[in-house]
Amino acid sequence: MFRQLRARFGGPLAMAIVTLLGIWLIVMVTLPQLQMIEYSLRPNLLPAQIGGPDDRLTLANYATLFNNDIHRTIFFKTIWSSVLVTLLTLAVSYPLAWYLAKVATPRQAALCILLLIIPFWINEILRTYSWFIILAFRGPLNEVLMMLGLIDRPIRFLSGNGGVMVGMVYAYILFMVFPVYNAIESLDDNQVRAARDLGAGTVRTHRRIVIPHAKPGIATGCIMTFMLAAGSYAVPALLGSPGSRWFTQIIYNWFFEGGNWNQGAAYAFLLLVLCIGFMSLIMKIFKVGLGDIGK
Amino acid sequence: MDGSVRLDEVVMRFGDFTAIEKTSLAIGSGEFFSFLGPSGCGKTTLLNIVSGFLVPSEGQVYIGDEPMAGVPVNRRPTAMIFQNLALFPLMTVFENIEFGLEVRGVDKRKRREVSERLLALVALEGSGPKMVTELSGGQKQRVAIARALAVEPRVLLLDEPLSALDLKLRQHMRTELKAIQRKTGITFIYITHDQGEALNMSDRVAVMSAGRIQQVADPMTLYRQPATGFVAAFVGENNRLQARVIDCEGERVRLDGGALGELAGRVSGTARLSNGEAAVLFVRPEHLRPVEPQASGPKLEAEIEAVHFEGAWVMLETRLIASGEKLRVQLGHELSRSQAGAFSVGQRLAFGFDPADAVVLPDDGSPVVDETGEVVEGRPASAGGTHV
Repeated sequence: MFRQLRARFGGPLAMAIVTLLGIWLIVMVTLPQLQMIEYSLRPNLLPAQIGGPDDRLTLANYATLFNNDIHRTIFFKTIWSSVLVTLLTLAVSYPLAWYLAKVATPRQAALCILLLIIPFWINEILRTYSWFIILAFRGPLNEVLMMLGLIDRPIRFLSGNGGVMVGMVYAYILFMVFPVYNAIESLDDNQVRAARDLGAGTVRTHRRIVIPHAKPGIATGCIMTFMLAAGSYAVPALLGSPGSRWFTQIIYNWFFEGGNWNQGAAYAFLLLVLCIGFMSLIMKIFKVGLGDIGK
Repeated sequence: MDGSVRLDEVVMRFGDFTAIEKTSLAIGSGEFFSFLGPSGCGKTTLLNIVSGFLVPSEGQVYIGDEPMAGVPVNRRPTAMIFQNLALFPLMTVFENIEFGLEVRGVDKRKRREVSERLLALVALEGSGPKMVTELSGGQKQRVAIARALAVEPRVLLLDEPLSALDLKLRQHMRTELKAIQRKTGITFIYITHDQGEALNMSDRVAVMSAGRIQQVADPMTLYRQPATGFVAAFVGENNRLQARVIDCEGERVRLDGGALGELAGRVSGTARLSNGEAAVLFVRPEHLRPVEPQASGPKLEAEIEAVHFEGAWVMLETRLIASGEKLRVQLGHELSRSQAGAFSVGQRLAFGFDPADAVVLPDDGSPVVDETGEVVEGRPASAGGTHV
């Protein structure tokens, strides 16, 4: 890479670019992470005790999670819910991406993409708040459903996982739509026509031709959505109920309410490790390499 | 298995543009039928109507006497070979060929049997487990044929399938396609802008221009008895000479060629000519011979502008002295050898032809169009004409 940079920009400039990149990666990414790991391996001590006999490396902070039933349940529930959010987002995004890539005229597609992007000019918190209003007990959604006579009394959308799911699907839909759209768009129309011509119906054409072709895009979308969902704080905090607590909220509590940074760091690191592990597993199952995702 | 195809007053419109004018046509079961025309003439549109990818604005398509209205692509007894082949790149050769059978719920052992048999038919035994991306152009071509044949179509639709191949391979595949068609007895409907392919393989050819079928005939008739000026100019090469009819005697026509003097030709097919009518005399380059200036019969005096040596023949580009029009002359082996090197630019020669070889058609003002749809001579195409 350095050789390419030097060929293009000359020695000094290439050196500067690499140095800046190196500083950014080391100072802004690697060192804080290492510090978090270091934190997580030390007990939570009063300032006076730091450096004293009690200040030694320990795995006690990690053990906490496995000894605390509630935290452990929330931990796995977060993973499971993130999987659900990912699948739900894919289910919503795939038809949309197909429509944008192969059905819509260029004008319709441009309009549709614009409509998808405009809400993302607004801050995520505000967008989530708007869902809070829409889904509220006396909110517009309940009003409309009552007016249409579909329900007799308002539904408490925000009391279970429903609100969090809706909010997250909405918050991360673009991260799914665009990779899937890009992948489907590169499919030759004649492939679909050939499958139809050979007798395949809609479902089989998608299962055998479109989805295999779009797999790298689908994998990219799923990985991004899953990571964002598992690490999300705003959506569960705003749209969640006590029953739908997210693991990130517990990490937040350790840091800012419990004042126990060491414990929080251990939890955060566990979440990171589990997410990476889970993603590698999924990539292995679907035979997608890291290189495919970059495409 | 009746593979006959009938188009009954089919019209195709896209918005204001009429891609196919009202067309009726019957293709026999087991026939090798080609649609020949420049790009944009509507031949691919017709193919898509037969396959079901397009629904005609008017009219009806029948396959084996069954109306196809409302029958979707995946339920028609047709299979298509696409111009870019559209093989499934993520599948092996076996999986490609067996795709149609898999859709039809044929069990795995039977599927493999069929694909092995088809691979043998297209001379690709043993290539089944390969990925299609590992194959050469010609091999991909064969897999595409096998994949289409696997679903046992009554009609095979071929959309310029040879255009991506190089010349040698293309000529080889012509022979092979024809052989496969004879062996299987399936109706082939072949789309091409390459007249060599159409004339070489087909039982019958429909020449199309601007959404209209100009003539349907066997290749020899197309060449000898063109029905319209378009066909005369598009199929094979032809020199056009504007003239006026003096009189007709049976097939033979005497013409007043203006500055060119008196000319003669033969009425093409069933064309009707009346005395004094404007007509076009078509003389093929290969029918022109150098003659003595004193010789009797029609002769054309011209000055050579370029000499192209092609090996088996010599092509002379000349300009008529009397009218300034271009005249192309092709001299075969025996003539070009005797005069090898004797032709030079600027030389003046007289060319004669046998009136029985030159056809006369009423002047319909049709433009001369090359294979890409470009107007090369005559008046430009009118609105909604030869381009799409």
